[in-house]
Parts: sequence; structure tokens; C-alpha cells
Amino acid sequence: MSSKALLCQCEDVTVEDVRRAVELGYRDLESVKRYTGLGTGPCQGKTCLAIATRELLRLGATPGEVAPFTVRPPLHPTPIGALASIDPSGLSIEGGVPPPPPPGTAPRAPGPLPARARVVILGGGIMGLGLAYNLCRRGDTDVVLLERGYLNSGASGRNGGGVRAQWTTPTMIRLARRSLEIGESFAAEMGINVWFRRGGYLFLAPTREQVDRIEQNARLQVENGLKTRVISPAEAAEVVPELDRSRFLAASWNPDDAVVFPWPYVWGYATRAEALGTKVLTFTRVTGFETAGRRIAAVVTDRGRIACDVVVNACGAWSRDVAALAGVKLPNVPVRHEILVTEPLKPWLGPLVSVLGSGLYFSQSLRGEIVGGMGDPDEPEGLDTRSTLRFLARFSRAISDVVPMTAGLRVMRQWAGCYDVTPDNNPILGAAGPDNFLQLSGFVGHGFMMAPAVTELMAGWMAGDPPDEIFERFTLERFARGEVSREDFIIG
Amino acid sequence: MARLADPRFAPDCAIVVDGRRVPARSGESVTSALLAAGRPLLSRSAKYHRPRGPFCLSSSCASCLVRADGVPNVKACETACRDGLEIESQNAVGGASRDLLGAIDLFAPAGIDHHHVGTWSQLASRVAVGTSRLLAGLGRLPDRVPEAWPAAAEDRFDAMVIGAGPAGLAAAEALARAGLRVYLADRERAPGGRLRCRLGLAGDPPLAWASEVAEAVRRAGGEVALRAAAIGLWRDGEEPLAAVSERRDRPRMRLLRAPRAVLAGGTWAQPPVFPGNDIPGIHGARGLLVALAEDGVVPGERAAVLGAGPEAEAVAARLAGAGMAVELVEGEVERARGGRRLAALDLADGRRVRCDTLAVATPRMPAAELAREAGAALELDPATGAFRVRPGEAGAVAPGVFAAGELTGPCSAAEAAEAGRRAGEAASSG
Repeated sequence: MSSKALLCQCEDVTVEDVRRAVELGYRDLESVKRYTGLGTGPCQGKTCLAIATRELLRLGATPGEVAPFTVRPPLHPTPIGALASIDPSGLSIEGGVPPPPPPGTAPRAPGPLPARARVVILGGGIMGLGLAYNLCRRGDTDVVLLERGYLNSGASGRNGGGVRAQWTTPTMIRLARRSLEIGESFAAEMGINVWFRRGGYLFLAPTREQVDRIEQNARLQVENGLKTRVISPAEAAEVVPELDRSRFLAASWNPDDAVVFPWPYVWGYATRAEALGTKVLTFTRVTGFETAGRRIAAVVTDRGRIACDVVVNACGAWSRDVAALAGVKLPNVPVRHEILVTEPLKPWLGPLVSVLGSGLYFSQSLRGEIVGGMGDPDEPEGLDTRSTLRFLARFSRAISDVVPMTAGLRVMRQWAGCYDVTPDNNPILGAAGPDNFLQLSGFVGHGFMMAPAVTELMAGWMAGDPPDEIFERFTLERFARGEVSREDFIIG
Repeated sequence: MARLADPRFAPDCAIVVDGRRVPARSGESVTSALLAAGRPLLSRSAKYHRPRGPFCLSSSCASCLVRADGVPNVKACETACRDGLEIESQNAVGGASRDLLGAIDLFAPAGIDHHHVGTWSQLASRVAVGTSRLLAGLGRLPDRVPEAWPAAAEDRFDAMVIGAGPAGLAAAEALARAGLRVYLADRERAPGGRLRCRLGLAGDPPLAWASEVAEAVRRAGGEVALRAAAIGLWRDGEEPLAAVSERRDRPRMRLLRAPRAVLAGGTWAQPPVFPGNDIPGIHGARGLLVALAEDGVVPGERAAVLGAGPEAEAVAARLAGAGMAVELVEGEVERARGGRRLAALDLADGRRVRCDTLAVATPRMPAAELAREAGAALELDPATGAFRVRPGEAGAVAPGVFAAGELTGPCSAAEAAEAGRRAGEAASSG
């Protein structure tokens, strides 16, 4: 059949797909890329960027909306084995690319700003959008949500999509289990596929101390209703035959943990929240607050002001900077985290695999790519989303060490997002500073997986439900009171 | 006739494609061998299992991915033929030509909205996830763990030039003339860039000039790296740092530092946009002419050439000179017809052009990526949707980094060479 006109031949994206995306409100090139998948295949956008741009212009896009999608190394698909041949120790962590785009190049949001709203949510990541949806679902529909970029431009659109219940406190296990439950029914409830797949999580323990740790964690997890087992390298190799068994002593295995595709979670929450009454305003930047006594009276943006009763700060790695605009000092710091994706292959890897100690994690996406990242202990704090050669080399060495076969897979694209790190690796929830200024931040790289459960509880708490313990434990004041117990299982 | 009748182009070996032997010349690309054999169909597409064949023939698109000697997702256009090389089609059940899953395309003429398929119930969505996982992905895991790559070599040069087309050659020549040690890299197997098409346009430098520059670079202590793809341009302190994947006798990575870099990566071929624009037999004109000139490949009997202007006319003349019946199509194409191979183009004016090959000679997209990594400013051409690099004085785009040639916008080979020379001179005096 030749009725399809293909705009992206790697991913079979048609001209019609792009027209539909624009009709649904995905107007800028970055959003259209994500919604349709164009430019995410093995040609890395070399064969579709210009024709997609031309098509969007034809459909009425403004020059700001067709700013080209961010350039992502490597320029040509490059085997992990080749990248692993590079010694990362001599490579600077500072030399990432590309430099941030010059200010003023973002698209201009159309239309007037609402004069007031009961609740203004800052940040259009999964936290803010999940909260907007849950507020609306409970009948609190006078909500405006402000996002400085496009949906999925922050960490919600940049993470690896892992959702696991293997945590080390009953609280986190409970939240994660609820998130898994929501994930399982998300597609049917919200009307969009998130490709939720329970492939399990396999944590590999290379040292004796780590084995002790996963044994202790497994006991707690079983007490809290999980199927976690500590298994031998031989048993782990039954789950992933390609593992090099000599590289670890034991593994922690929970078959019920899952991997999802992050982007449609964000779109799903946004679409349903909008249908229920929320106004989601993208490309709108908060520049300050108007206060009256101990309260915020209005949120000031680059497009005007919105009077409000309650403000929620759900800005992820930007939370500290946004809170500072209200004179509130949060202890959060942004820390870059790099990640990459390989060419797509037929299914071969069931679980998300993570190596304790190195921080390496990787899983196979529903499209068949290996998606994986690894923290860098030398990473300085800062809102940096550039991509380094050092990461390509470090990651490639680590993954081919534990699964030698991956040396033959080609890396297609690398990117980075920022963790929103708190001193005890736990979130900051509830009022801070002005009485009506609520925090929903500090999730240290696992906000995506916690959001479905946490936003449900937060909406309830805001509506006056009896407070869940998290709103008593994870307050900003805990740092002043010194009541801090550190979460140390923050990988993947 | 599938090859020019010249003893230089006589096959001397055979590759094995899905179990069938295809005559080839040692060292030529797998795509050249297949096109000469009249087999532009290689695999099936990712989602709809549409017939897929090579488009750009110059390693920028990914339409020619195959399994080569047990390694998945290898670009056939970058894979050199040798006797017995095993090529397998990908993403096809029962071979690329009869793929059973091709039915997906037939049953979903308007496409499949994967965001919403199966979302009517939890059970249906679970089935959608399971089915999608089975269908997704190109190629299977490699047959074996690859041989370890040698440790990446780290080298320092006085200058690096990425791209050995007219602009890169002229830049390298100017830098070498100034006595500098130059690393000149090109991802193709020979230097020359578009000069390898032998278009013979007015003012084009002769192709022999490419070898002269290569020699001059070597004489000045520099190096010419072919089949060498720069995968990124980072910075180490103030200095540009390039990572280059070299696929010579034995593949290896190189890390190159130099106080100055000239980016001259040229352009990427762009497919036309109309229904059926992905039918095998549609190729970038430049890639096609290189295969014709260097491997003697005559891809079919009847060619249409899409485009206007001197380059499109020269493409038509070259293909006609190779014995093909050629029609130059300047008007709008409504659709392409054909299944596993192009059969005809329907034009907007109602005419039908019968052809088995379409050479696309419309504007290409500037290869701006490395310059963007260095922080170059861009400019949009609304007519083509292409973003070109907008350099400053003498091609400067960042401290120590220059851009020249077609990545800064359409220009003739002579103009590209002139820009490259200016960039090379500015870089060597800086």
C-alpha cells in the first residue's frame, strides 16, 4: 500500500500523524517529536528534522515553535564496545554539549492568562499534573498549572521509566506499591497507553556488604507484602541469561516491579486534568509572587499575574529557585543525571537491571531500545542538562562489564535531566514559608515513580482528609528539628 | 544491464543475502551490490512492516539496516562486501519480500494510533503491551559477544577538519600550507564529498584535487582518516575535543584534541514527501551517482529525477549516460506507485511517469549537528524547513571552531571550497 506519506521512515511516522498531533495541541517541534516519535529512530533525526519543520510551518506553526529539537550525541549510532574503549578518567565532567539555547528563543504562549484560580500549580511535570488531575477528580476544578517549557521538558520526560517497590522503609514501599497499582490500570483509566510492563527489578550486589544489605532489605520487603527474593548468580542468569555471573555475588529480585514509558503518563494526566477543568499553560514562566501578610496573593508570570488561594511548588529541580522567589529557602539542590538509549532490538531483556555501588541501571523499553543511566559521584550541583563524552564512556564500560553482549549494541542518543536532591534523600511536602505555599518537591530521581501515589494523597490532604504520615514526616521543618533519617537506596 | 560494461566493475566475489548469493565487488558497499543486482528491497519498516530499501546510500538515513555476519542494525551502505559475507533482512517474518506481517500495513491504511490502541479496558491494554513488545524492535541480539575494541587512541593535532568535501578539503589545504598538522576525517571511503558524484558542474574543482590535498596533509605531518565518523564535538577546557569512530581495517575510537576545528560535514539527503515516498527504488541522487561512478552500479532501466536546476539536470544526464531512460520531474508528485519496488510516479498534472528508480535531487539538509554542539547560531529556511549554520567572520561559530560549505546553506562546490579556504586561513592565523 502506498497511501501513507512517511515523514519519519525510521519510526513509520506519517504526515497524517503529525497533523493529528498538532490538532491535539502538540504544536512545538519538541512536543510533536515526542508525541509522534519522529526523530527518535536510528537516523537520529537527520532524515526528518527539516521535513517535519516544513510540515509544521505549513500547519501554521510560529518560528518559535519550530526551534529544532536539541542535538543529541552521538551523531552516528556507535557501539557500546567502541565507547567503552574510551578511558573516562581523563574526560571533563564540565564539557557537556550542547550549550543551552539563547534566551528568548522559546515559543510564545498564545491567549490571555486567567485572572484568578483557587489553586495555582507550578511545574508541568508528573507531580504537578498528577496533583491537578487528582484535585479535579475530587471536585476541586478551579486549577491553573504553569509550565515554563513544553510538557515532558523536565525530569518527567527524561527519566528511565522504572517503577519499583523494592524500597527500604515501609512508607516508601507502600507509596511505590500504590504507584504500581495505578500504573497497571493507567491506560484503561486515563485513556492513553503508558506501556506498563511488570518485568521485575534485578539489583546485582557485587560485594559482601551489599549482599548483607539486600538480604536485610528483602526481609523488610517481604514483611511488607512484596515477593522480593535474594537469588544466586545462577538464578539471576535464568532471568537474564546474558549476565556475566562472575560480576556479582547475589541479586535482589522482585518480579512485580515494572518499567513504563514516561511521556504518556504526563500527557495522560494533562489531558484528563484539562478535561475536568484545569487550565494547563505551557511556555509560561513564573517570575515572582505578590504577598499579603503571611499569604501569597498572586503568582506573577512573564505573561501577567494570577490571583490565587493556594500555590503548589512542584518544579522538581527548579523548586529551590522558584521557592526563593517567595523568599523561602529550600535545602534542595539540582544535580544532573545522564542517560542514553540504544538502537531497538527484539525483546531480550525482561527486568530492569541495576548494579549496586556503581549506580548503573538499564532496561529494555517497549520499543526495544536499551534505556540506561548511571550517576557520577563527581557530578557537581547545578541545573545542567548537557551531555558528556565522559558519561558515554563510563556507562558503556559499566554495562558491557556486567552484560558483555551489550558491547555490540549501538548507542543512538544521550541526554540528561536533573535530580532534585534533598539532604536526606526524602521529599519536602506541605506548607513552607507563606501559609498557602505548598511544597511537592525533593524526590531525588524517583519522583516519577512516586508521583501517582503521592499526588493522590496530596490532593486528599489539601481537601482535608486525615493527613497521611508523609505530610508529618516530610516537612521542611524536619531539617531544623534535626529529625532526619536518610534514604540511601536511590538508584534507578 | 546492472553494471556499466567496464572490466573495473566486474564482480569478483559473492555475498549471501537471506541465503541467496549476490555477485559483488570486494570492498564495495552491500547496497552497491544489491542495487546492481536489481534488489533494492532490504528489510521491513519498524511499525507497519512496509518494504524498506536504502535511501541515502551515504550512511545518514537508517533505511538500509540489516544483520551482517550476526550483528544487527548494521548500515548496508557502510558495510564492505567480501566473499561469503552473510546479510539477513530484519523485521520480516519469512523474508523481506514476503513478510507475513506486511499485512499490518494493508489492514491499517490510515495508520495505527499506538497511544490509544487497547485503552478501552485493562485486559485489552495488557494485550496491547504484550503484542507491541513482541512486534517492536529491529533485529535480534548479536550472535556473539563482539571482539573487544582496542583502547581508544588519544591524539593531538594542530587542527582538525571534519568532512573531506570541497569545503573541508580547501580548509585542510590552507591549514597544511600554513605548516600545521591536520587531522582530516570523512565518514566515506574516499575523499571528495559531492565531487565524487562527477557532476561536472561549472566551476567544480576536479576530483583529483581531493587526492592532492590528502597528499599535502600527509606531507605536513597530518593524517587523512577515511571511513571515520565524528560522533560528537565536545570541549576539554577551552579546546575542541572530537570523538571519531574509525572503521578502517580494524575498528577503533579516536579522541582528538586540537586548538582549532573546521566543520565541513556538508548535508544529509532528504526524502521527498508524498504517499509512497518510502518505496524501495527511491534514492538520494548523490549517493546513487557515487555508486554509479565508483562501482558502475546501474540501478534499473527507467529513472525519474526529482528536482530542478543544474544539479538535477546533471544527475539526469549522468543516469542517461549510463543507459537508463530518464525523465526529469520538476513539478509536484502526487504519489509513488509500487509495492516492493517503485513502478511509477503520479504527477499532480495527471501524468504518470513509469520508473523503477527515483533519484532525489531536491535540497538537502545542512549537517549542522556538530556546529550546534559547539554553540553555533542557526537560521531557518522556511521553504525547505532546513536549519543552516549561521557563522560569523570567516566561518567562525565558537572559539576555535569554524564552519564552511553546505552546512551553512546551499552553495556550489566552488563556493564551498572558497569558504573552506577562508575558514582554514582564519583558523591557521588564529
